[in-house]
Amino acid sequence: MNKVEELEQRWFKYKIKKVISPFLGFTALTVVAGTSYYFYDINKASLSPFVLTERATSVLGVSMDANKTMANPKEVKTTEISKVEVVEKPKVKTLEEVALRPVIPVIDMEKEERISNVKKVRPKQAVAGSSPLVRAKENNYLTPKELRAVTKAEQNVIPVPRKTKKMEFQTTSKDYLETLKAKFSKSKKPREALLLSKAYYKSANYEEAEKWALSANKLNSSSEESWLLFAKSKAKLGKRKEALKILVSYYKKSNSIKAKRLIGQIKAGRL
Amino acid sequence: MMTSTYEELKNIFIDSVDKSAYVELESAVYNYSVLESSLDKPLKMVLLYGKPGTGKSMLLNKLYHNLKENREIHYFDAPILSEKEFLKSIYEAMSGQAIPEKMRVNFDALLKYCQKLRDKRELVFLLDECQLYSEPLMEKIRLLSDTRVVKFVITLHKTENEDVIAKEHFKTRIWEIIEMSNANEYDLELYIQKKMIKKGFIDVSNNIKKRDIKYIHAQTKGNFRETNKYLYTVFDIYEYYERNEPEKIADKKFSKKILEMAAIRLGYIDE
Repeated sequence: MNKVEELEQRWFKYKIKKVISPFLGFTALTVVAGTSYYFYDINKASLSPFVLTERATSVLGVSMDANKTMANPKEVKTTEISKVEVVEKPKVKTLEEVALRPVIPVIDMEKEERISNVKKVRPKQAVAGSSPLVRAKENNYLTPKELRAVTKAEQNVIPVPRKTKKMEFQTTSKDYLETLKAKFSKSKKPREALLLSKAYYKSANYEEAEKWALSANKLNSSSEESWLLFAKSKAKLGKRKEALKILVSYYKKSNSIKAKRLIGQIKAGRL
Repeated sequence: MMTSTYEELKNIFIDSVDKSAYVELESAVYNYSVLESSLDKPLKMVLLYGKPGTGKSMLLNKLYHNLKENREIHYFDAPILSEKEFLKSIYEAMSGQAIPEKMRVNFDALLKYCQKLRDKRELVFLLDECQLYSEPLMEKIRLLSDTRVVKFVITLHKTENEDVIAKEHFKTRIWEIIEMSNANEYDLELYIQKKMIKKGFIDVSNNIKKRDIKYIHAQTKGNFRETNKYLYTVFDIYEYYERNEPEKIADKKFSKKILEMAAIRLGYIDE
């Protein structure tokens, strides 16, 4: 065969390949994409928590078994109750089985309806016999009709105004101070002394406040509040220099920001 | 037998470094001007380098033919691999005297001879395919160029694996480097058109459209040698059809089919 003729045949092959390969590629891609979507969808459904729970398996089992029973619904109605129960008893499935079983998340409404009809047949008779099923408690909620009747009756009743009782929570500062003093005499804790100092300071009894702050400080010299209250009371009593002296000595020891701020306030006369 | 049009056409693309085959392209003109001006500078060596088929030999050939009337210029188009032969050729070119067969040139004596000629004569040697020269011989070329009497213009293939420029003797001694590269689409179009028009094939040249040039460029990557080979094959197939099945090339349009057939024959594309 001539070389050019042979070359022409090679060219034909090349052309066919060139035309067909993109088409084949596209087809293959579509198939792969379709298949992977299908499997992805299945996996997604099987991995769903609804499928993995036992309750859900029974639900799904009912829907599948219901298919069988629904094949002839009339038959179900006429059979003995115990048989119906056996048919409806959910199968025990292992977790693995459930996970592997493909579940198509589509609900057949007709089937659902039929299942609910079957369920309606069961209860009263089933409970009467020696059924292993647990009987549900009787519903004691009001029906809408009953509820309407009740609300109408309520409307007819004339409302009686409710009497409000007032409770009095009153105390006096004197009581409070006496209580605290009593507590302090018993416990001798710096907390009570400090609270007393605070109470006196609030009621502008700066002399008492100074006194109790000092006793609190004696019991616990590291208590910042006792230092500050003592100085504040001093300042209020017009002993600014003394107050500042106390605060400066405390600031040097503790480097407290509050003490620094208070020094500033006393110096500026803003206390 | 009557000469076919396509036979003449394909012969245009026979690869040669013939002066008449030189096509003036923008890039080639630029490179030529750089090369020519570098000869006037006090440089010892000038390097032309690039991938095979980028027009190095053509440029060297063009330089030789343009300058041979005005300068002492000598062109070694084929590499002289034997050191003895190389030195003999250099001496004969310089002295214009033939050396008796059983004698050889002493390199030291040649160097002294060159030194005596300093500021009196300036010779240019154009050496093609220098990558084939041995390292000791390249060292002797360097020593000769150091005399400032002999100037060398050398061409080198730039290979993928080994960057020859990195070689020690080139790194330190080449002063002017001209890198040759493949043609872009525009240059390739000009190259093909000019070649055809030069031989009077204006119609065929006009039938080659931009898309054909694009295809040719894609196959040959703009390499002049590959383009020559490709178009030679294309017109070879045309020639066959012209003689045997002229109806297949009745269409004036440049045949994409034949372009593809030639690409298959040369292995540019797989069938």
